[in-house]
Amino acid sequence: MPAVLTVDTRSGVPIYLQIIEQIKRSVALGVLAPGEQLPTVKQMALDLTINPNTVARAYQELERDEVIETARGRGSFVRSNGVAQSSAHAAANDVVAEALMQAVREAKSVGLTSAQVRALFEAALARWFPEEA
Amino acid sequence: MSISIEHLTKTYGKFAAVDDVTIDIPSGSVFGLLGPNGAGKTTTFKCMLGLARSTSGAVRFDGKPLTAQTFEYLSYVPERSVLYDWMTGDQHLEMHKRTFSRYNEKRAAELMQLFSLDGRKRVRAMSKGMRTALSVVMAFAIDPDIMVLDEPTSGLDPVNQRSVLKLIIDASAQGKTVVLSSHQIGQVERAADHIAVMKQGKVVLGGAVDDLKAGSKIVEGIFPSDSIALNGLSSDARIKRVEKTGRIVRLTVSAGGDVLARQLSVMGAQSVRIVDLNLEDIFLDAVDAGQTANIVETA
Repeated sequence: MPAVLTVDTRSGVPIYLQIIEQIKRSVALGVLAPGEQLPTVKQMALDLTINPNTVARAYQELERDEVIETARGRGSFVRSNGVAQSSAHAAANDVVAEALMQAVREAKSVGLTSAQVRALFEAALARWFPEEA
Repeated sequence: MSISIEHLTKTYGKFAAVDDVTIDIPSGSVFGLLGPNGAGKTTTFKCMLGLARSTSGAVRFDGKPLTAQTFEYLSYVPERSVLYDWMTGDQHLEMHKRTFSRYNEKRAAELMQLFSLDGRKRVRAMSKGMRTALSVVMAFAIDPDIMVLDEPTSGLDPVNQRSVLKLIIDASAQGKTVVLSSHQIGQVERAADHIAVMKQGKVVLGGAVDDLKAGSKIVEGIFPSDSIALNGLSSDARIKRVEKTGRIVRLTVSAGGDVLARQLSVMGAQSVRIVDLNLEDIFLDAVDAGQTANIVETA
């Protein structure tokens, strides 16, 4: 697997969620290609020095979210056969939705109004999608 | 193999070293027992393995009490090594080979190499770390189904600590049940899927690591003035602690962070934020605080 996964035990985010987020990001960015094989649960647990049940849980949830599929006895793969495109989109969606959710929560907590948040969002869109402006 | 500890108590005179401890260790899990020095971790292990007589309570392995046969497939690394000073590492392994039918000579040799141990060296001449490493080698050389590891990384350098962690993870991937204690919370968090925190002989917190982390948050609200009515909060079981410092109210919660954040808003907080807690925070909080919600007010 080309993507380098890392685990941060100082973070308050459960380790299985850290793995899910990073694999989704890798799929969304195409670093993990459709059909590509993921390490076995045991291999990833040893590589990251984390509990195998934690890796297994991350894989189960990724499967449920249709990002990966597991063929019994063959291992886990990034979904392909046409589903790949949509799973990459879904993965990208999840990653961005979480980042936006945090930004909006932060905005509310420092006392911005929804109109102010919308203005900031428009400014960010204008900056990163100049061709649509 | 699952292990269940039911209402285990061990008293020395009037002092309860282990006080009504109930712990369920699921089969195939890595279970981390945490707690400050003197919390009763080692005594719990000894009672579990019949090395100390418990005052009351029961311990069951797959529902059955401990028997002599259980030790055939059980490895124990005690907190204080029980190695013989006058014997070499190889002599310890030789003794182990005669005692355990599942002893694997090739595996033992690989493990000695992994920790760069010289089998010809007498224990007397070994550092604390080398003694720990030899105990770990012996524990993993018999291919056990259950491992009870009391501080299995103490005195080891970071490289060897990582090796022990990987051995535990490898054992877990093969479906073995591992129980370990360690003061290195980061290590426990990596290796373990379930934990319990002991304090003064009692279990003050326990559960799946992911669930504990997912639920535990600090909810912080900043109010327009420092006259805030906190009465409504103290009765909520999800709130472990309420701290008020001037206009800031900080709730340590075990669940329901979002709901409680909204509640602070309703109470008039201008700004509310939710902070994730890592396992060390959760551990320290369990050890510091009482078991009931308490209110701390500072000016």
